[in-house]
Amino acid sequence: MEFLLEIKAEEMPPSHIEEGLIRLKEGLVAELQANGLVDADGGFGSIRTYGTCRRLIVVGELVAKQLDREEVISGPPRSAAFSADGKPTGAAIGFARAHGIRVEDLQVIASARGEYVGFKKMVSGKTAPDILKSVLPALISKLSFPKMMRWGELNFRFSRPIKSILCLCDGLPLSFEVAGIQAAAYTSGHPLFAPGKIQVDSFRQYRIDLRKHKVIIDREARKNRIQKLMQKKLEPMGAECYPDEQLLDKLTMDVEYPHVFLGDFPETYLTLPLEVLSTAMKMGQNLFSVVKGRKQMPMFLGVADGCDDSRSLVRKGNERVLKARLEDARFFWDLDLQIPLKERAGELERVVFQEKLGSYADKAARLRKLAAYLADRVGALSEKTLVMEAAELCKVDLLTEMVREFPSLQGIAGGLYARREGYPAGTWKAIYEHYRPVTLDDSIPTTLNGAILSICDKLDTVVGTLGLGVEVTGSKDPFGLRRNAQGVCMVILDTKLDFSFPRLLDRVIKLYGGVLDVSRPDLRARCLKFFRGRLQYIFERMGFRYDLVNAALESGLLNFRHVFLRLKALDGFKDSPHFEAMILTAKRVNNILKGYPSHRVNVELFRDKEERELYTMFEIIRDNIQPLIARGDYAKAQRIVFRIRSCVDNFFDRVMVMTDDRRLRRNRLALLQSVSRLLARIADYSQVVIQG
Amino acid sequence: MTIQDLIMNLNQYWAAQGCYLAQSYDVEVGAGTMTPDTFFRVLDRRPWKVAYVQPSRRPTDGRFGENPHRVQKHFQYQVIIKPSPDNIQQLYLESLTDLGIKLTEHDLRFDEDNWESPTIGAWGVGWQVLLDGLEITQFTYFQQAGGLETFPVPVEITYGLERLEMFLEGKDDIYDLQWSQDVTYRDLRFREEKEFSRYNFHQADIKLLQRAFGMHTKEAQHLIDRDLLLPAYDVCLKCSHLFNLLDSRGAVSVTERVNMIAQIRDLVTQVARNYVAAEDPA
Repeated sequence: MEFLLEIKAEEMPPSHIEEGLIRLKEGLVAELQANGLVDADGGFGSIRTYGTCRRLIVVGELVAKQLDREEVISGPPRSAAFSADGKPTGAAIGFARAHGIRVEDLQVIASARGEYVGFKKMVSGKTAPDILKSVLPALISKLSFPKMMRWGELNFRFSRPIKSILCLCDGLPLSFEVAGIQAAAYTSGHPLFAPGKIQVDSFRQYRIDLRKHKVIIDREARKNRIQKLMQKKLEPMGAECYPDEQLLDKLTMDVEYPHVFLGDFPETYLTLPLEVLSTAMKMGQNLFSVVKGRKQMPMFLGVADGCDDSRSLVRKGNERVLKARLEDARFFWDLDLQIPLKERAGELERVVFQEKLGSYADKAARLRKLAAYLADRVGALSEKTLVMEAAELCKVDLLTEMVREFPSLQGIAGGLYARREGYPAGTWKAIYEHYRPVTLDDSIPTTLNGAILSICDKLDTVVGTLGLGVEVTGSKDPFGLRRNAQGVCMVILDTKLDFSFPRLLDRVIKLYGGVLDVSRPDLRARCLKFFRGRLQYIFERMGFRYDLVNAALESGLLNFRHVFLRLKALDGFKDSPHFEAMILTAKRVNNILKGYPSHRVNVELFRDKEERELYTMFEIIRDNIQPLIARGDYAKAQRIVFRIRSCVDNFFDRVMVMTDDRRLRRNRLALLQSVSRLLARIADYSQVVIQG
Repeated sequence: MTIQDLIMNLNQYWAAQGCYLAQSYDVEVGAGTMTPDTFFRVLDRRPWKVAYVQPSRRPTDGRFGENPHRVQKHFQYQVIIKPSPDNIQQLYLESLTDLGIKLTEHDLRFDEDNWESPTIGAWGVGWQVLLDGLEITQFTYFQQAGGLETFPVPVEITYGLERLEMFLEGKDDIYDLQWSQDVTYRDLRFREEKEFSRYNFHQADIKLLQRAFGMHTKEAQHLIDRDLLLPAYDVCLKCSHLFNLLDSRGAVSVTERVNMIAQIRDLVTQVARNYVAAEDPA
């Protein structure tokens, strides 16, 4: 059975459409399953979604009705239903009459409580339309969006006001009501170009008719169309659109029938940097930059909804608006350049970073010291003075007109001004890149100094804010601490920087001096816990098994890169036949040690051959893996460590650990403790879950 | 079409939709939303339809008459309808068609833009309306005002009159617009922009403004305590304007900003709550 649902609404934001379609599909599948609308194989058909800013569309081939099922209706006990000579009694006759069947048709039904008389009947399953009619209103009402709104006099929340609902099962309208709107067999085309009613009887016809009425429901088709039209405009000039996937995705959703227009702006604005130009075009006006080779052209591309702009009014209008924006941008650029960054830096004292944490001048001073420390640790000696300079200047652009107008240019604007003032690349690029990565999918700083400054800046924010006792919970993260901490992790992992994280943390805490509310040891623990959580999130998002992630994290956050290498070693070995055996052995060692204080091994107290063998093996492995761990070759180190297994197993088989002799017992526990510590240098294997 | 033609046109259109045509309010406000004809009337449960022009002052937007788009005072055309009608988008589009704009020859877009005014504890969901890339209108379904959930939900349509006129006249410079056949925007506003920019950015007495802010917040509380809510609200508007002036003088630190806004919001929220308690006894 073909099912088609279209919820038409006033213009929804792209994120809402995506979210709405996912929830709608999930909800529908859940309802189909809950109501047994499945075929003999347990499938529920196929469901696809489409969407535009004005439509959420679900279409599918669904199972038409529930399977028929046999129902058993039982009546009086057999003994009461028939007399001694086998004739039906009044009870049996009454029961049969009540259910409208003949007495002869009564059967004997055996049950756990004895034998009864009764009959079986086939109950035909409910049809899909009947079920859908009753579940759809609740399903639609319960859809959640990133931000919900109410309208009119309804007590109803949705992304934007719903205009109409189209719902068909095999071409027949399904009647139900949501938000005061009656579902029907109608839709309408583009609101400006084809607002009239369109009667719908199948998805095929719906899709074709909408296309004729200036609506393309398939987002990939719209995206392709935009890209093709852009290419058509630019190819003759050998130019290209400066790619901006985010903007393209937004526009793909924002329009129902895309047209592309190409416009010009006066060449005089080409003196502005590419970043400023493209930001001015993108923000507010949603325009793309055009480049030829790597050079910015005095042109832009825009996407219009429905209008083919045969009179060039759209192009001219956009040109006029853009010119005004570029004029503003140039005004800001020139104005900002009048005051050198160094001179402006003094004003940072007036800008509050966070009420209790002081001004941005204080932050810059901390960053300068922190960057110097980290540069030393990662051996960036020749660049050290440059990154210190960058640290001092990186927040100055918060005082510029450019960043006030285009906040997304923070850092970038500062970097551009620094370059313009002649600072070396080690300085200006670090300023330029230090906010990166802004999201989990954003790029990482490309220069070492950029990476150093990015880590220091974000860590300073996280430590300071947690130091004020701010708690980050499920939905509450007002200062974006998760994003900042994830940024730190991503930069460290990506740049493979090798340094002790806890020491850097101590340094940050110390630089804050006495302004923090949380005590130092407590704050240190909180920060480590917080970063542990962020690493866990990042690793699991990369697709690693959660228990392996835990095993790698539990052996310490001393060095993020090493945590990652440990995880990779675990992951690389997880399918080996020896893995499970080793995990069991490790768990056995750890279990027996639970609750015992640590002791030192005394070789004089060994009594059995297996004790000596284990200890010898322990020493050999310990010495062998030392250099491997130092250089991060955990895969090899792990292979070597695993060689201890047979000795441990023999030890457990032959040696009585819990002997009555206290000294021997303690020594044997001490030996196992050494083994346990050795294993822990690779991972906390007790965290690994043995599957099946 | 001149600016006054534009205003007359919109007046006629929205009056025909049943709106009462209010006159501009006589206290400085940053937006048409802040005048009593919107602020108080969206709070209660009674239907309300109003349209009016409101001069809106934003001292930090001043450019000494040198920028062709930015001014420290501009004119908004404000429409409030409660409850929001189902065909409000259609009505809005017709108001544009009524101005002679052939919508199918242009690119008209409803671009997500959720409006928020922390000083009056109000926020809403909606769009900025872009016409060939030019923002001509803010379109908002009010969800909260004075810190209270709105019900029924009012819709607010705020046309930027200068923007719209620049589109209609096809001009690049705000000062070249025709207010009437004989009078240009320059004739009326250029000197005002120059002088007020100097006042806003350089001459306004910071000490005096700060003192006045303190006195006015006290006065507002005094009036609230005596249940004089309309006068109290006027005084809140004055606080808001004083704050804006201090801001354009660069005399508000980030911390102070948070505190001052919180102070005004607290007063405004009290006004709203007491007003609703009296108008809509639960």
